[in-house]
Amino acid sequence: MPAAESVFRREFPVKGGDFARAGEAACEIKELLKELGLDASTVRRAAIVAYEAEMNVVMYAREARMDLAVSPGEVHLVVEDRGPGIPDVELAMTEGYSTATAEMRELGFGAGMGLPNIKRNADVFAIDSEVGRGTRLDIIIRTNGHVTP
Amino acid sequence: MNDKTFHSIHITKDKCIGCVHCMSACPTKAIRVADGKARIIDQLCIDCAECLRVCPHEAVHSHTTSFAALEAFDYKVAIPSTVIYGQFGSSVLPNEILSALRRIGFDEVYDLSSICELNCAATEEYLSEHARPRPFISPTCPVVVRIIQRRYPSLCGQILPIEPPREIAAKILRTILPKALGIPPEKIGIIHITPCPAKMVSINSPATLQKSYLDGAISIRDIFPQILKALRKSEEDSLMRHLFPETLFSGVGMGWSLSGGEIRGLKSHRAVAVSGIRDTMRVLDQVEGGLLQDIDLLECTVCPDGCVGGPLGVENRFLAKSRILELVAAAGEHAVVDQKDVSRLYHRNFLSFDHPVSPAETRPLDNSPVKAIRKAKLRDKILAALPLKDCGVCGAPDCRTLADDIVRGYARIEACPFAEPAGKPAKKKEKR
Repeated sequence: MPAAESVFRREFPVKGGDFARAGEAACEIKELLKELGLDASTVRRAAIVAYEAEMNVVMYAREARMDLAVSPGEVHLVVEDRGPGIPDVELAMTEGYSTATAEMRELGFGAGMGLPNIKRNADVFAIDSEVGRGTRLDIIIRTNGHVTP
Repeated sequence: MNDKTFHSIHITKDKCIGCVHCMSACPTKAIRVADGKARIIDQLCIDCAECLRVCPHEAVHSHTTSFAALEAFDYKVAIPSTVIYGQFGSSVLPNEILSALRRIGFDEVYDLSSICELNCAATEEYLSEHARPRPFISPTCPVVVRIIQRRYPSLCGQILPIEPPREIAAKILRTILPKALGIPPEKIGIIHITPCPAKMVSINSPATLQKSYLDGAISIRDIFPQILKALRKSEEDSLMRHLFPETLFSGVGMGWSLSGGEIRGLKSHRAVAVSGIRDTMRVLDQVEGGLLQDIDLLECTVCPDGCVGGPLGVENRFLAKSRILELVAAAGEHAVVDQKDVSRLYHRNFLSFDHPVSPAETRPLDNSPVKAIRKAKLRDKILAALPLKDCGVCGAPDCRTLADDIVRGYARIEACPFAEPAGKPAKKKEKR
């Protein structure tokens, strides 16, 4: 755990169904990480993770808070939503599995890549979901991580 | 001429009155107003010319090649952008425009539509041979290349490594002409004629070549009066144009300067065209977020409607576009390029970049991550004391940028006449 003094924190509220602003939080996170001087590959992985997580909220949940904590060694993102939850997490983690509606697919989302893509780009990935309450993602991307997108 | 910080866009101090039009129009927040004058931050400027478009006092100008500078060459060659065909109304044919250019002093003038077609065929071949990454991004617009280097460095590897038509045409001529004419290469001047200020940047500091094959770029706006005069003369002397061989125009390449024109000729790939600086940035943000991977090629042009909307054109872009669409319709699907020639050039790497696009130096808050984090926190605190009205009085485009300038040491909070004294965030006052 890095010392509190060397951690930069910011919260991003995300509203479910708000397609007009979808992706804004992820963009802001990406800009911030660049300004903090993180390397391009870490920024790219974090951008992909943040984008996918934000889109999941927009598409399925009522609302969520994305908590970002950046220290020199890692990007820590916690996304906690209030929403329907995921009945079968294992199934949702399968590549290509998606419950996206036709409209969502029309917009280019819901290829069933979201959660697996997040996991692929993260160094630490934990998911906790309760049906009827919501889903919590806990993601760490290390600046010296080995995963490349 | 390999100046790394070369910029085409400059502010003429004498004409600048220190208003904030350019500052608020700048998509990369590269302009500040200090001591009553606008100033461009070199490192942030991408030469998109949004400032040039909005300046009410003509205080923003672009460095392009002057006609007089061509005197340095024994043999002058013009390769005008196909945008030029849309500048003179429906009664003037492309061939007449090319003839007019010969009459005003170019020894030879070459049409680019055929090279555009060649480029399209090479692009198709490259996309077929390279399944990843997706999407590739077209390098035709020099501003797009520069914005990727500066703001989307992780996308540098997704720039399609095939030189744009203007460079390919110049390279072909540079290879052939010295031998054919018996003139030393340095005495042959190959000049692009363009509505785009950024072409001078790609000529003087090429992002993908050791050295550009072009010697300069003349703006359509500068050369327009002379072409018009020559066109009028040729009306009196219409036989003149028969002295010059007919040019074969490519139906595939003719519409290249319109948004979507570059990808129109692609037959077996999925491509998407985006135009306008803000939409381009929005889409590049999405690509950096991992989206659009089902698209093979992204054509981005930062001018509205494509190159035809370049700020150094003369005819308004709607009329120019309409005229070019007429020419595209007239040319039909007429192809002038032999696929085998393209394939040969392509496999000899004649059409490829010399080297890949490399990211520009980044601009973190501090080179030490620990200090950068500290500065980011401080910036949040400063921002809380600012009114968040983005009025521009301080000389920065918005409150966020002022806060950023302050932590970087370029500005002081006193620049804002509305800033709350430390410890009393402005937001609380708002609620009263």
